[in-house]
Amino acid sequence: MKINGVAIEDTFAEAFTMRVARLLITGQTLGWAKEAAVKLTGFATSVIGCKCEAGIERELPDGETPDGRPGVSVLFLTMDKASLPEQLIVRVGQTVLTCPTTACFDGLPDAPDRLPVGKALRVFGDGFQASKVIGGKRYWRIPVMEGEFLIEETFGMLKGVGGGNFLILARDADAALAAAEAAVAAMTGAPGVILPFPGGVVRSGSKVGSKRYSNMIATTNDAFDPTLKAVTQSQLPEVVNSVLEIVLDGTDGPSIEAAMRAGIRAACRPGVLTITAGNYGGKLGPHHFYLRKILG
Amino acid sequence: MSDAVTLTLATQPTHTLVADCIAADRFAGLGATAIAALPVVHGGRPATLGEFFRVRGERASVVRIEGDCTRIDGIGTGMVEGELMIDGSVGRDLGLAMSGGRIDVRGNAGANAGGAPAGAARGMTGGEIVVRGSVGDEAGARMRRGLLVVTGDGGRGMGKGMIAGTVVLFGNAGPGTGRFLKRGSIVALGEVERPATFRYACTYRPPHVALLLRYLGSRCRLDVAAAQVTGRYERYSGDLAELGKGELLRWVGA
Repeated sequence: MKINGVAIEDTFAEAFTMRVARLLITGQTLGWAKEAAVKLTGFATSVIGCKCEAGIERELPDGETPDGRPGVSVLFLTMDKASLPEQLIVRVGQTVLTCPTTACFDGLPDAPDRLPVGKALRVFGDGFQASKVIGGKRYWRIPVMEGEFLIEETFGMLKGVGGGNFLILARDADAALAAAEAAVAAMTGAPGVILPFPGGVVRSGSKVGSKRYSNMIATTNDAFDPTLKAVTQSQLPEVVNSVLEIVLDGTDGPSIEAAMRAGIRAACRPGVLTITAGNYGGKLGPHHFYLRKILG
Repeated sequence: MSDAVTLTLATQPTHTLVADCIAADRFAGLGATAIAALPVVHGGRPATLGEFFRVRGERASVVRIEGDCTRIDGIGTGMVEGELMIDGSVGRDLGLAMSGGRIDVRGNAGANAGGAPAGAARGMTGGEIVVRGSVGDEAGARMRRGLLVVTGDGGRGMGKGMIAGTVVLFGNAGPGTGRFLKRGSIVALGEVERPATFRYACTYRPPHVALLLRYLGSRCRLDVAAAQVTGRYERYSGDLAELGKGELLRWVGA
């Protein structure tokens, strides 16, 4: 299969079930809402080192937010149920509570699993906090020096999908980067999907474990490192000199598929030779995204 | 089972009619005959609901009342859930000690709407009451939770002794509004006289008020001005003669 002359490998991306929450952060301006969201989702690229993965899903116009102010939607994922509230409480407390003008709302109101994020953060009010029930939902008003920080008492948690991916094999680094940027642009704002890595792109794809260091849970994916072609069992064709990876997390499989479809099509441009995907032979993750099926 | 139970006032009571049997959740399990047989008190004498209302529909937790019920007290008493829509004015004790559900009055309401029974410590403990008109004295008195919205004017002592919950008043407040408030919020969009035992805190844009007013605009289709949603409010803490954890929020414009 080829798109714009770029070969689509007959393989699949292997992804995992994760726990996901969606936060709606609003502010007096979109700029302040984004400021909080960027800080909130900082250092949240991979569960390997960050214990969570997070990113901005999309910007929300005034009419789509609970309080009628501009905002952003953020997805937050962890590998297990227990660590999601832990991460959210710490991060929202340090990045959204602290950010001028912001408020924080649940973006998964129908999810039966509830995380007591606002309930935990309320104690910052030192007894001066107050709650309000509006439309059946409880909100906490936490007094702060600026005025009040408003946060919903609980946030919904669903089973999500983490680790959707595809790799861009290119003739050189410039072509790989241009293709990756085009893919990210095509996927930005896709509903139910985030790209947790810097700019949505990963240059250091990893393999499980290490050939040399027993304490390492992940090390460089030497099979796809162009500089190691001559000394390792490389999976790269001779003409490939740079590889970049796009990693996608989301609320569900169809959302990931739709984003991958848009991203891969956008990445098929001059200088790109092959699009492939990372997997573990299908043994580790229950979600398999077959590239040719998605693009067919 | 019907979509709704409709009570149409067929015989205007000659005296005060206490109809505290009218509650949306209570009708959910009753047929039309059983609803008509529910007991009421007319001028101190026992009677039945059917003597005054024509009943249409059965076994529904959405109840509509048609007619001028100014002489009918206690509608929605102890309501737990469901929806009660009243197309006309009602007497005193609307939603007395209710704990859930929603009451929507397209008219005025008498005294003690959302309040407590005589001698009881707590008024309404949940649910929502929307009065698209004015209310009598001591509306929301001793309320513990819930929401009382009045689009017209408030009487004397509105929210008196509130323990928690929220009162939103679009019109002017009567004297003594918020006195003995322990916790809870009174949002005053019209004129309000601040009790002497409330102390000014600041002027700000309370985020929960914006959220609440937007909710009232969308859910209850109330006419809420954008300047009220995004506007500034003076916050008075009180009643400092009580716990002092309550607040009077007075809208001062955009």
